[in-house]
Amino acid sequence: MKSLFFTGKGGVGKSTLSSAFGYQLSESGYKVLIVSLDPAHNLGDIFASRLKNKAMKFTDSLSLAEVDLAKASKKYLKENTKVFEEVYGYLKVLNMDKYFNILKYTPGMEENAALIEIERIFSEGTDYDYIIFDTPPTGITLRIMALPSITINWLEQLIGIRKQILDKRYTIKHIRDGQMSPEKLEYKESDDTVIKKLYKMHDKYINLDALIKGENNTVSVVFNPDYLSLKESERLLMSLDELNIPVRLTYNNKYDSCLSEDADKIEKQLLTGRKGIINQRIGFSDHKNNPGYIIPDNLTANYLKEY
Amino acid sequence: MIEFFRKIYRSMIFFISSIDQAHRIKAAEVTEYELRELENLFVLLLMGSFTGIPSPSSIVSAELIPHLSREIEVLNKRAEDAFDAFNELAGTIGID
Repeated sequence: MKSLFFTGKGGVGKSTLSSAFGYQLSESGYKVLIVSLDPAHNLGDIFASRLKNKAMKFTDSLSLAEVDLAKASKKYLKENTKVFEEVYGYLKVLNMDKYFNILKYTPGMEENAALIEIERIFSEGTDYDYIIFDTPPTGITLRIMALPSITINWLEQLIGIRKQILDKRYTIKHIRDGQMSPEKLEYKESDDTVIKKLYKMHDKYINLDALIKGENNTVSVVFNPDYLSLKESERLLMSLDELNIPVRLTYNNKYDSCLSEDADKIEKQLLTGRKGIINQRIGFSDHKNNPGYIIPDNLTANYLKEY
Repeated sequence: MIEFFRKIYRSMIFFISSIDQAHRIKAAEVTEYELRELENLFVLLLMGSFTGIPSPSSIVSAELIPHLSREIEVLNKRAEDAFDAFNELAGTIGID
C-alpha cells in the first residue's frame, strides 16, 4: 500500500489534481482510495456523489471518502471524556460534567482528530494499492504533519521525568524498608498507568511519523504560476524540509503559454537544488479546436515509473 | 536475673532499631523532597497552558490527567507554600 498527500495553497487545484490522479491510477488497474481531509470538502462535488467518513465505492477500483474532522474530534472526545467522567464522577453532583464538552474547543483537537483519522484510514485500507489524501490548505496540513514529531519529543521528555519519579519512589521504598511509607505508590513500570499510557502514545506517534516520512509515502506540492503561490510554496517546501518529509512530485497547475516566462522563473526559484522531484505543467491548451483547461491523461506516468 | 538481662537485651534491640529507623526516615527525606519536586514538575508540564509555559498537545494532557490525582495534589500543595520553598529545602537538608 502506498500513499500520496496533495498539499499546497488554497485554491491551487489540490482537489482537482488529486481526484484526477486517483482516477487515472484506478483506470490503470490499481485499487485506489481518495480521501478528502479538507474541512471544506470538494471531493463529493467533483465526483457528483454524497460522500461519508466511510469509504464509498465509485467504481470497482476507485473508492472515495470525506473525513468530517469536526465529527471525528467529537467522537474522540466522547471516548476520552468518558474516562474523565469515570474518575471525576462526583462533578455530576455539582452539575459540572457538562463543562467537559467545552474541551472540543481546545486548540489542537482538530489536528489530532485528523491524525487519528489518517491512522484509521491507513489501518483499514490495507487492501488498497494507493491511498490519496486531499489535504486542507497549507497551514493546517503543516500542523497535522508536524504533530507526530512534536508530540514524540514531548512524550520522550515526559517519559524521562516519569522514569525518574518511579526510580525515586523505588529508592524511598527501599530506604524506608517497605513498611513506613505513608502511602502506597507505584514504583514499577508495569504497575504505573501513567508511564504505560505514555509508552502507548509514543508507539502510536512513532508509527504515524514513520508512515508520513516513510518510503511508501509521497508528498506532492501543487502550485500556480503566480508569485503569491510561489511564496507560499517556498515556505511549504521549507517547512516540509524541516520536518524531514520528502517531496517527490510538484505540479505547476493552471499553466498558460502566455505565462511561460513567469512559470519558468517560478519553477527555477522553487526547484533548483532539489533532487528527485518530478515536476509537471498542467493547464490551458492552445489548440484551436480544443481550448480550455485540460488535465493530461499521463498524470501518473512519471510517478509510477520512479516510485 | 536472666529476666533482667533479657529486658536489657530487648530494650537495646529496640534502641538500635529505632536509630536505624530514624536514620532511614532522615535519609528518605531528601529523596522524598526530590520526588515531590519531580511530580510537581511533571504535572506542571502537562498543565503548562494554565501557567503560560509551553505545553504538549492537549491530547497528551487529556489522556494523562485522569490518572494524576496524587501529582495534582502535590502541585496544589506546592503552589500553596510556594513562598516557603527555601525554608522547606533548608529544613530538609538540615540548615538552621
